[in-house]
Amino acid sequence: MSKNTNQEQPVHVTAIILGWILPGLGHISLGQKRRGTLIMVGILFLVLCGALVGGIDAVDHNKDGLWFIAQVWCGPVVIGIDLLNQTILAPLPIAGKATYVGLSHVNEIGTLCIAMAGLMNFVVLLDLLQAKQGDDLVCTFADRKGDASMGRGAKQ
Amino acid sequence: MIAWTPFLEPLNAMQSVWYLLLIPMAFGIAVVYRALREPSYNTYWRAVIIMTLQVVFGIAAIAIALGVFVQWVIPLLNQP
Repeated sequence: MSKNTNQEQPVHVTAIILGWILPGLGHISLGQKRRGTLIMVGILFLVLCGALVGGIDAVDHNKDGLWFIAQVWCGPVVIGIDLLNQTILAPLPIAGKATYVGLSHVNEIGTLCIAMAGLMNFVVLLDLLQAKQGDDLVCTFADRKGDASMGRGAKQ
Repeated sequence: MIAWTPFLEPLNAMQSVWYLLLIPMAFGIAVVYRALREPSYNTYWRAVIIMTLQVVFGIAAIAIALGVFVQWVIPLLNQP
């Protein structure tokens, strides 16, 4: 009979919490530095792209509540953007808002980019449920470099 | 464009070419997804580029198919 692998696999609660606080940090905490760094770069790239294209108005829990549910999976970064939006843009009069609020496609793409980042981080958090300690991306280039330098060291 | 404040104001200059923003979005998604799926870093960036192209061309193909359907197929069906 095959063993039940679910009992052997621990649930990395701390890693999941870290992965929500800063995308990729969960994998890094499990010793998967390369994987975690690439996840962090990818998700922060999507968030920055969204905020750059749509402005901070791309995250708005009052007007785009459903989008915010997807976006908030990115963690405090998105909550910070929403906080900026609520403190800087929300109190402005309608005439003042005109230059800061994105309209049409620019706003849609900005909102969508950050929502995709949130949903991708949700996938990353799900991956953490079954992630193994130290199961990082294998890099034979670095290994070969390491072997070569070790070889040189041995010759000297 | 000169008076544009990054992150505070939306990038309205991209309004006319908004569909090009699909490329960085597909790239970001591919970077994250391939980081989870790829076992080796040696093939990682190649897999990211392939996935980005698959997403971009896939969405472009769907857009073309929908355009053809709306512009040509529906008018044909409406003819008496």
